[in-house]
Amino acid sequence: MRRYARLYWHFLLQRFKILLEYRMNFVIGAGSTVLLQAAGLLAVWSVMRQIPDLNGWTFDEILLVYGLITLSKSINHMFADNLWIFGRAYIRTGGFDRFLVRPINPLFHLLADRFCHDGIGNFVVGIALVLKASLALHIAWTPINIAYCLVAVVSGGVIFIALNLLTAVSAFWIIDSIPVTSAIFQTHEFAKYPLTIYSRGIGIVMTWLIPYGFASFYPAAHLLGRPIGVLAWLGPLIAVALITLAYRIWLWGLSHYSSTGS
Amino acid sequence: MTLALRRKGRLYRSIAVMTFKQYLAYNLWFWVQLLGQILMMTVFVFFWRAVYAGRGTVGGLEQQQTITYILLAQMIAPLVQWGQILPMGDLVREGMIAIELTRPVDLQERFYIETLSSLGYSLLQQVLTVGLFARFVFHLQLPSDPAIWAAFGLTLLLGNAILFCFDWMFACLAFYSTEVWGLHVVREGTVMFFSGALVPLVMLPGWLQSVASWMPFSQALYTPVALLSGIIPAAQAPQVWLVQLAWLAALAVGSRVVFRLAVRKVTVQGG
Repeated sequence: MRRYARLYWHFLLQRFKILLEYRMNFVIGAGSTVLLQAAGLLAVWSVMRQIPDLNGWTFDEILLVYGLITLSKSINHMFADNLWIFGRAYIRTGGFDRFLVRPINPLFHLLADRFCHDGIGNFVVGIALVLKASLALHIAWTPINIAYCLVAVVSGGVIFIALNLLTAVSAFWIIDSIPVTSAIFQTHEFAKYPLTIYSRGIGIVMTWLIPYGFASFYPAAHLLGRPIGVLAWLGPLIAVALITLAYRIWLWGLSHYSSTGS
Repeated sequence: MTLALRRKGRLYRSIAVMTFKQYLAYNLWFWVQLLGQILMMTVFVFFWRAVYAGRGTVGGLEQQQTITYILLAQMIAPLVQWGQILPMGDLVREGMIAIELTRPVDLQERFYIETLSSLGYSLLQQVLTVGLFARFVFHLQLPSDPAIWAAFGLTLLLGNAILFCFDWMFACLAFYSTEVWGLHVVREGTVMFFSGALVPLVMLPGWLQSVASWMPFSQALYTPVALLSGIIPAAQAPQVWLVQLAWLAALAVGSRVVFRLAVRKVTVQGG
């Protein structure tokens, strides 16, 4: 464990050396995600200023939901972005074979190979949104609430990573897994808003099948003191169960891997 | 003999599997993009239904009008999303721009014809995919008056030409900066909001509406879609066209001048 932490630190240092060679890329990469978020938020604000609430949720409460999912997403974006291009950049080129002959876990190697700085923009936006919402809503930052928030965001990040890992495994067979990953990933758009605005079916899917709801809506509802029962506490359990399942399936895919040759 | 045959068999099989995978990849892309669009449409419809729950009008618009507007805007959005800076950046980076400039065809005219043709293709594809989905799942309601459709068609065409001229000027930045991806993202965020792809522009606060009216983007999306969903009455179409022609004249001249100045800066990389 300690060895892996040290290794990750080394990978990260190398990565930052590369990034600092291209400072402008660094700024634009991190900044571009902020701009796209701003367009979406400006749209929500323009609508919400006309109405007191959306299905019982005020603008600031929606910001909390939006901020929490942005934070969870940024964890996935910063630390696991390579899962997107796994097929295209590592399997097709044969580069993945290098990882298999090294004495470290190939999945760890894949994730550590590229820290993605573009996610920093989302991380900053997420923090700002959650802070803004909590100040406006007078959410007390007691140690319990801080701990709850941290666990919720990390669980949300793990849910994002687990779903991307599950879908990236398809690269072992079809090489380019980006379409499969994005088919599932896209559905997180639902979880940017309170799940109660959708039909029952969508709510159930976002809770039990593609559980992005635990990355935004349920923790936000709990922090706002809404009665959602046990769902407030299920996030970490679901995250652990999902990442375990995804890792098992990854190992199974790995055992069926035959290199692309050449 | 059998050995040679078996080897051939193995070879053919792997070629067949490769081809199959290639087609699968392209088809997967098509379906995933379609799924993404349908998903966004669903999010938007539920969002707006919740906005209207128990309210007659919001921002001066009725629910039916707004939902029709949003469904149509989501269909048109991919047509304004891309611009010209990425292909222009490619031309400059690969050095192909030198060859393009020596061809006996005006480069801007060629790009415009390509844009026009892709407008037709994308429109057809959008109508046959997300359009049918919107019609049958979200009961998209469209006007039956052919005059409105004609007005919509002309407005869309003019708006597309206006956006093209803007994008041509914007693409000239590729001559000065190799950082075209970042510029593209900046454009995308701005265009998505100020073209009216996310919210009907009449719902924006006054100051944002005036910012939007000083930008050309609404001409390519908000104006045609507002005509078709009845937010702008058909009787106002002639005024709309006058405004559009003014935009087009200004940007067409501007884009010629800007390109002529910018192209002097071209440095062909490599080779």
